[in-house]
Amino acid sequence: MAYGLKERNKQVKIFQDPDWRFPLNERKKLESLSYIHQETACKRIRYVPSFTEFIWNELRFQSWKHWLLQGSLLLAALCLALFLRKMEATDIETLAACSVLFVFAGNLILSSIARLFSWHMAELEQTLYVSLKQMVCIRMLEAGITDLMILAVFLGTLGGHTMDVGSSLLYMLVPFLWSDTLYLHMLVCFRNTSNFRSLGQGVLCGMMTLIPLMWESVYDPEWRGTWLLLAAAGIFLLTAEVFHIFGKIERGDNICLN
Amino acid sequence: MPELILDRVTKHFKHKIAVDQVSLRLEEGVYGFLGANGAGKTTLLRMICGVLKPTSGEIRCDGAEIRKLDGEYRYLLGYLPQDFGYYPDFTAKRYLEYLAACKAVPKDISREKVQEMLRLVGLESDQRAKIRTFSGGMIRRLGIAQALLNDPEILILDEPTSGLDPKERIRFRNIISALSKGRIVILSTHIVSDVEFIADKILLMKQGQILEQGSVSEVTESVNGKVWEYLAEPEEAMRLNEAFAVSNLRNDGDKVYLRLVSDSCPCHGARQVKPGLEDVYLYYFEEVSEHVENLERRAL
Repeated sequence: MAYGLKERNKQVKIFQDPDWRFPLNERKKLESLSYIHQETACKRIRYVPSFTEFIWNELRFQSWKHWLLQGSLLLAALCLALFLRKMEATDIETLAACSVLFVFAGNLILSSIARLFSWHMAELEQTLYVSLKQMVCIRMLEAGITDLMILAVFLGTLGGHTMDVGSSLLYMLVPFLWSDTLYLHMLVCFRNTSNFRSLGQGVLCGMMTLIPLMWESVYDPEWRGTWLLLAAAGIFLLTAEVFHIFGKIERGDNICLN
Repeated sequence: MPELILDRVTKHFKHKIAVDQVSLRLEEGVYGFLGANGAGKTTLLRMICGVLKPTSGEIRCDGAEIRKLDGEYRYLLGYLPQDFGYYPDFTAKRYLEYLAACKAVPKDISREKVQEMLRLVGLESDQRAKIRTFSGGMIRRLGIAQALLNDPEILILDEPTSGLDPKERIRFRNIISALSKGRIVILSTHIVSDVEFIADKILLMKQGQILEQGSVSEVTESVNGKVWEYLAEPEEAMRLNEAFAVSNLRNDGDKVYLRLVSDSCPCHGARQVKPGLEDVYLYYFEEVSEHVENLERRAL
């Protein structure tokens, strides 16, 4: 009992002493340090690029021709929008111009997906840290952003028109969905090494957007249901096409055969 | 150091079995896949790279399925495909910079690494030239450079020396030998001399299966007592050349020296000799490797 009290007093004294430290076991310290050293030596420090870096890397290696075409298209959209406003163009004229530019801008960027699948590059790109699937996603994202920019330019000009924004969007979305689905399918199925051929395919698919303009009556309210149905089918087909491309990449059977 | 395990890996293409139940354990070292065209080497390599999905079986890296590891696995990988792809409008430097970015090589060392690789493969002076102006050998060297860019722990090279001249081939072999420490290097070829001197393990592939595996001496042991030497008259040499698998043939004065591969003594007076890897190739694949074919053509 007396021993216990003495011991406790000693411990209290020790803790009251500000210079007191737990005694170090030098052997254990060395063992632990050597274990940590071994573990760190085995570790490979990896650099993981951020999402924005991924995108930046993908964009900075695009050719100057690609950027020139894209810039020209945006400039054309802006000029056309201003011109239509000045001319007080009708709803149908504005829709026609917007639809065509909308689809062409998308197709132009999507053609860079064809490049990924050409020149025997797909097989190699599939083995890189940024995989082929991620590269395709980044290109699609780029196409989407450009389209949104064109849309924003045109929605500004549609402000004073009789057609509401929802209807305008629907009438632009349907040709866009169908044209882009067809273009994506052509790009992956008939991939080739000629830029001009993919450009030709893009132009052909872009021309498809002009088909509804041949019958102005299709923009009447009684056709709204059909437009909605076509939009739903277009969304379904485009999603299916994207999954089809991803499936192809995943299985790999066809990407080695270009 | 990663460890790769192939567990009953099989690949079917419609009705054709390209790779049939291949099981392997790959650790640090150089592995040489030898086989005739169509043996399934490229398909197997594509599956190891994660480009092709196996019909059945699993490929694991450090115990985890490679498809689940995704980017983590690709980070360790360096791959030179048989049909090496490149954007022809890119310069060699831009091409390597592009791939370095895609391989997540840190930005601060990327430029330095690109220059180092260009120096290693002797393309430093051509770095600003468009790839479309390159010769076949230069393109192949560029391919080797891109495979090594990220200092890969798993290096897979499919027919790396095709299109290279003999000097470049030797240089390439030396590069691979120097780089093999601390890595898994997988080489696929049908040229025996490419792997004979640098591979720690030889894997003979035929009809999608591994026929034989082991060190060069272990593999050559399997044809011990089946390789013969004989000095023949020219007419007899022609007859023997048609009747037996000949791994070497050369004119020796008035006579013709023959090296034959046969289960039994091919003719009276033939002397048994120690087999080499060329003999093993000939024994299993019943066809002459590119190197021997050239020698024969020259001799006859």
